[in-house]
Amino acid sequence: MANAAVHAVDDEVEAPAKRDFLKILTVSAGAVALGATAWPFINALNPTAAELAVSNPIIDVGAIAPNTAMRIVWLGQPIYIRKLTPQQIADNEYIVPDTLPDPASYTDRVKPGYESFVVVVGLNTGISCELLGNSPTDPRGPFDGWSCPCDGSVYDPLGRVRGGPARKNLAIPRFTFLSDTQIQFG
Amino acid sequence: MSDQTKPWLESRLPLAASFRAHVSERQLAHNRPYLAALGTLIVGTLIFLALSGFVLSLYYVAVEGDAYNSIQVIMRGVNDGWLIRGFHATGTTMLFGLVYLSIFRALITGAYRVPGELVWMLKLIFLLMILLIGYLGYALEDGAVSYWSLHQVTLAGAQLSSFPGNISNWFFGGPAGQGTLARLAVMHGLLAFMAFGVLALHYYAKQAIAVAPKRTVSLHPYYTSHHFVAAAVFVLLFAVLVFYAPHLGENPLNAVAANPLVVPTVVTPPWYLLPVSAFSTMFPGAKGGIIGVIAAFAVLFAVPWLDRSPKDASPGLFYKFLVVVLGLDVFALGCTTADGPSLINSILTTVFIGWYFLHFLVLTPLATARESK
Repeated sequence: MANAAVHAVDDEVEAPAKRDFLKILTVSAGAVALGATAWPFINALNPTAAELAVSNPIIDVGAIAPNTAMRIVWLGQPIYIRKLTPQQIADNEYIVPDTLPDPASYTDRVKPGYESFVVVVGLNTGISCELLGNSPTDPRGPFDGWSCPCDGSVYDPLGRVRGGPARKNLAIPRFTFLSDTQIQFG
Repeated sequence: MSDQTKPWLESRLPLAASFRAHVSERQLAHNRPYLAALGTLIVGTLIFLALSGFVLSLYYVAVEGDAYNSIQVIMRGVNDGWLIRGFHATGTTMLFGLVYLSIFRALITGAYRVPGELVWMLKLIFLLMILLIGYLGYALEDGAVSYWSLHQVTLAGAQLSSFPGNISNWFFGGPAGQGTLARLAVMHGLLAFMAFGVLALHYYAKQAIAVAPKRTVSLHPYYTSHHFVAAAVFVLLFAVLVFYAPHLGENPLNAVAANPLVVPTVVTPPWYLLPVSAFSTMFPGAKGGIIGVIAAFAVLFAVPWLDRSPKDASPGLFYKFLVVVLGLDVFALGCTTADGPSLINSILTTVFIGWYFLHFLVLTPLATARESK
C-alpha cells in the first residue's frame, strides 16, 4: 500500500486548479447546509403567531364618551385612550410649546385626522405610579388632565407634563387607526 | 492580539498548545476505516440533540396533562417547531444507531480486551446513560403509552423503597404525580450534559491505551476530509428520516393524549428501548424486572473477563460469527417485544433472551479459549 501522503502530493502537482475548485465547492456547500440547518433553530426562538396576535390587539374606541378615557393593559402597561371635548382642544391647541417643561405641540400628541383622541401610557414619568383622571370625577389637577397620587405631578389632557417632580410628557405607545372607531397597537 | 498578550495568555491558559497537540499537528494512523468516524458522529449528534432539546425546553410545559398540549403547540404553533421536534426524535434514533453500532464493533473486533476494558466499560456507561435519558424523553411526551409506562416504572421503583433508601422516590418524586414530569425534565437535561463528560472520559481513556501508529498522517486534511464523507452520508440518512419518518420506531398509540382511566392495548417503548424492555419482563414482578435489566448489563460489563483468548490475539472467525448472531438475536428480541404480548412472542422472547446469556456465559469463553489454541 502506497503512502497516503505521497498520493496527496502527486494529486496536487497533477491538477491544482481542479483540487482548489472542489475544495471551494465542498466548503461552500457545507456552509450553506450549516446555515440552512441553523435557520429553524433560530426561527423557533421567535415569538409564535399566537403570541404575536396577543401583542397586536385591536381596540374599539367608538364607545368612549367625550371627557372620559378608556383603560386597557397592553404588554403589561396601562394604556389610556381619551376622547377630548371641544373645550379641552381649544384650551390646549394654541399653547406655545416652548413655555412647557417638555415642549410638544398639539399635533405632536395626536394622530392627524383623529385629533380628538389622545393615546398615552398611563404611568407617571417621574415615579412610575398609575395616573388618576380617566373619569371626570377623578382628581385631574388644575389642567383637567391627569394627576399622580404618589408624587403630585400633573398633566394636561394631551398627556404633557405641566407641573410636579415629573419632567417628561407621557409616553405614546405604537398604534395606528384602522378606522374612525378602531385602533391597533403594535 | 498584541505580541505581549499572546505569551501572557498562553502561559496561563495553554489553549494554542492544546489545539496544536489535539488538532492542528496531531498525527494519526494512515489507514482509516469509515467506522473510525463513529466517535465524531456520536459527539456531533449529541451536540445536535442538546441544541434541539434546548429549543424544545423553551416551549415544553413539564406538568401532567399540559405537557401533551405543549407538545401540540410545539408541533403546530412554534415556528419550525415540528422540524425541531423531528430533529430531536430522529437525532435520538441516530444516536442509538451509532452507539449500538459502536458497541457491536467493539465486540466483534475484541476492542474490549486488555487494555481496553475501561474504554469498553465507559462505552457501556454511556449506553446506560442515553438509555435512561431516552426513557425520560419518552416519558416526557406524556402520551397514552408513555404515561402508563411511567406509572409502571415508578410502581416498580416503589418496590425498592426499603433498599437502599427511597431511591425511586428521590428520582421520580414518589409514584408518578403532579411533580414527576418536572423532575424528569430536569434529569433529562442534566444527564445529557453528564453524558458529554462520559464521552470525554472515553476519549482520554482511549488516548491513554492507543498504540503509536508506525505510519501516520496529519488530522487535517486527511481525517477531516475523510470524516466529512462519513458525515455527509450520515446527514443524508438523517435528513431522509427527519422528513419522511421522524417518529420511526415509536409506538403510534403514544401520539394520543394520556388517559388515566384507559390502558393502551400495547405498551411498548421506542425501538431503542425494546431490548431493555424485553429483559425487564424476564422475571415476573417489579423486582424481577430490575434484576433482569441488571443481569443483561452485568454480562456485558463482564465480557473482558469472559473472553479467554490470550493477549494480542485477534478474534477468530467463529467468534465473529457468534457476535453477528448475537446482534441478530438482540434485534429479533426487539421485534418480538414491539409486537406485543402473545404466546408465540413470549416463547420467542424466552429463546432470544436465553441465547443472549448463553452467548456471553458459555459460548464466549468456549469459543475464545478454543480459537486461541
